Amino acid sequence: MTGIVLTPRGAFDARVDLTGALPGAADLERLSIGYGFRRVALGELFAVSGSGADRLTIAGGLPLLDRVAAGLTAGELVVDGDVGAEFAKGATGGVAIVKGSAGAYAASELAGAKVVIGGDVGERLGAAGDGSRRGMSGGAVVVGGSAGLRAGERLRGGVVIVHGDAAEGAATDLIAGTFAVGGALAGPAGRGMKRGTLLLRAAEGLASGFGDAGEHDLVMLRVLVRRSQELASFLGKDVARARRFAGDLNVAGKGEALIVA
Amino acid sequence: MILNGVEIRDSFAEAFPMVGTRLIITADSPKWAMIAAKTMTGFATSVIGCGCEAGVERELAPEDTPDGRPGVAVLIFAMDIKGLKAVVPLRIGQCVLTSPTSACYAGMEGGDVVSIGKALRYFGDGWQIAKNVDGRRIWRVPVMEGEFVCDHESGTVSGVGGGNILILGTSRGEALAAAEVAVDAMQKVEGCILPFPGGIVRSGSKVGSKYKGMFASSNNAYCPTLRAQTETKLPPEVASVQEIVIDGVSFEAVSACTKAGIEALVALGRDKGVVAIDAGNYGGNLGPYHFKLREIMA
Repeated sequence: MTGIVLTPRGAFDARVDLTGALPGAADLERLSIGYGFRRVALGELFAVSGSGADRLTIAGGLPLLDRVAAGLTAGELVVDGDVGAEFAKGATGGVAIVKGSAGAYAASELAGAKVVIGGDVGERLGAAGDGSRRGMSGGAVVVGGSAGLRAGERLRGGVVIVHGDAAEGAATDLIAGTFAVGGALAGPAGRGMKRGTLLLRAAEGLASGFGDAGEHDLVMLRVLVRRSQELASFLGKDVARARRFAGDLNVAGKGEALIVA
Repeated sequence: MILNGVEIRDSFAEAFPMVGTRLIITADSPKWAMIAAKTMTGFATSVIGCGCEAGVERELAPEDTPDGRPGVAVLIFAMDIKGLKAVVPLRIGQCVLTSPTSACYAGMEGGDVVSIGKALRYFGDGWQIAKNVDGRRIWRVPVMEGEFVCDHESGTVSGVGGGNILILGTSRGEALAAAEVAVDAMQKVEGCILPFPGGIVRSGSKVGSKYKGMFASSNNAYCPTLRAQTETKLPPEVASVQEIVIDGVSFEAVSACTKAGIEALVALGRDKGVVAIDAGNYGGNLGPYHFKLREIMA
């Protein structure tokens, strides 16, 4: 079953807020969505076709589409293209996939879903939303490209993997959880980090408050790659050793950055 | 019923409900995984005196363990969940946490839970680290060697304790040799342990005693040296009896284990000194699980 497919009827001249357009949502054509400063029925902007409650596809995704998959609880939502801000924000279950890039606050305050972003992602991936104290608390996010400013800020739990580079301020004030970067760190990463784990390829870019604890054979790594497909794809099945940096010691943090080959 | 010259007596083993859990103990080598497992399951032959019954269930290949290292599965049973919750963290803390290169994982899900890292993490004195991955919490406790890794907790199962067979042999040596063969066969059955030394009990007991405060005492009806002094269940040609006690995760597992043992003894036959196979019971009024030897071998 292919599920429901949303196809834009034409070019948009304002941002579109797709809150509520989720797999299994009833009467999608009549769903009231934001369009600039107005509210319109979803059917005015998108042609709705197909059937099924488990899968929703947005054909022709655009950076103008905000809050796609926000609050997702179950099912699969796939975007063929790009999305705007707050992709999968606060999602608690299901799978959200964007084949292109995503805007700011993607997976912000995620609490259980699996999120895949094929391209790059904007600032504050998995971070706390404006006014919130805590970022993502569960689930898994995989970014094929690079992440913008302050990715993982105040991350509270779950797994975030950025296969590309991370811009300045990654993992700032990270509270707990696992944050992995396959590329380069642009600036002071992990500043104010309290607990949690950074998985990195090199120590360059770590904040100054991290202390070198030496190289170790960590059984925990072997467990992680057997319990998390996402971490297995990042670390490799045979990972065992890592160089451990503890921090942020400037705030008596008990977090760590593990440098893995 | 006589099979290969061995009498299968019209008797049954009477067993009791127990609560158990499975733990997976791993280490850098099979040797150290087994040392940790055997130490952790030591002094756990009978709930009467040990508070639990425990033993090695089977060895695990690296590909079958949570961290890809050699492992051993152990089963621990207690009379109730409260008892199990008391003994499991103690035994892991004293015998697995301390054993070089070891790690300890949950070996079953569901049921009530018993603490592993939930209790042991405090040994880390504040330096312990929790990781939540795929809905499961794992603990890393820093130790002088490196880190002790363990799951937060393990599930439990309503199991069966006290399955047994009695091997009536023509001599002490032959009864023991036969019991060893039976143990080898029975230990291949998944979901069961044989908690006594080497899987064998040479001092099977009856309920009660002439002395106040003794819950169990020597089963005089099966003691060959008392043949002239007490009612005996031993024919003249029997000079020694060995017992094998079985605890398992289900009635079916204990039944399969019982059958495996009897089949191995029957294969040895009367020529190897196995006269008869019997079972210990209390008249059928105490334990709800009855393993009838002849039905199992029918």
